[in-house]
Amino acid sequence: MKLFKSIHNFNYEWSLVSAANWQKYPNENCPHVQHVDVLNRFVDPETGTLTTERIITVDQKVPSLLRRILGADTTQYVHETSTIDPKTKTLSMKSKNLTLSNLLTIEETIEYTEHPEDPQQTQFTQQAAISAGSLVSRWSGIVEELSLKRFKDNAAVGREGFCKVLERFVVMAEAQHKPVSSTTDTTS
Amino acid sequence: MSSSVGAHCTELKQKYDTCFNKWYSEKFLKGDTTPECEDLFKDYRACVMITLKEKGIDKLLAESRKETQFPSASSGDEEAGPNSA
Repeated sequence: MKLFKSIHNFNYEWSLVSAANWQKYPNENCPHVQHVDVLNRFVDPETGTLTTERIITVDQKVPSLLRRILGADTTQYVHETSTIDPKTKTLSMKSKNLTLSNLLTIEETIEYTEHPEDPQQTQFTQQAAISAGSLVSRWSGIVEELSLKRFKDNAAVGREGFCKVLERFVVMAEAQHKPVSSTTDTTS
Repeated sequence: MSSSVGAHCTELKQKYDTCFNKWYSEKFLKGDTTPECEDLFKDYRACVMITLKEKGIDKLLAESRKETQFPSASSGDEEAGPNSA
């Protein structure tokens, strides 16, 4: 099994980051994410938390070595559940691949929380556990190594892509709240 | 806005997403957790579930749900069950 962990700070407050999270895709840095669908969503009336279940469709090129084992289909599906607690300012997400699990299992946990020292920032913690499946147990080392590299690459473009989404979000939010200024020339 | 795995579900999805995003920022984050957009969600989800079934993903999803034990009132597998969220 290979493990991955990274911590990153976004220079935006948590509410904005949690809202932008729902509009992360599409973004030009992550062309491999094809579709995102919500399967379930509900608010717990006692705790006030929002739980969401989603399925994410990904089109990822598979190294030709692995493609010979798997076949040519590059469309994969990921199952994600998330919980948002607006009182503690926590967004937690867990996801796991639905397809290719006889080759590989990637379990990812993500958390967005208000930065403990700066409420204007959001801390992003991403962890993953990558294990080769039964089909390739003899080559588990290389399968996990290749997958970890791919995961790190995707994590990096994911962060860059989300940064751009956040920038656009701020611009849109400001545009909505800006008072309309008259551009007409008042001189006769 | 992202598209749906079912191309013909995308329009329903984007109507729902627009409603949800507005609710999330203007109500939920400000402490009003009364659910909205339920009718839009029902139509959109029904379309997606048909697509997942056609693609054979529904069985994989059911297996994965057993592990994640999604605590929803409706698993989405039932036919036209009331959405009590």
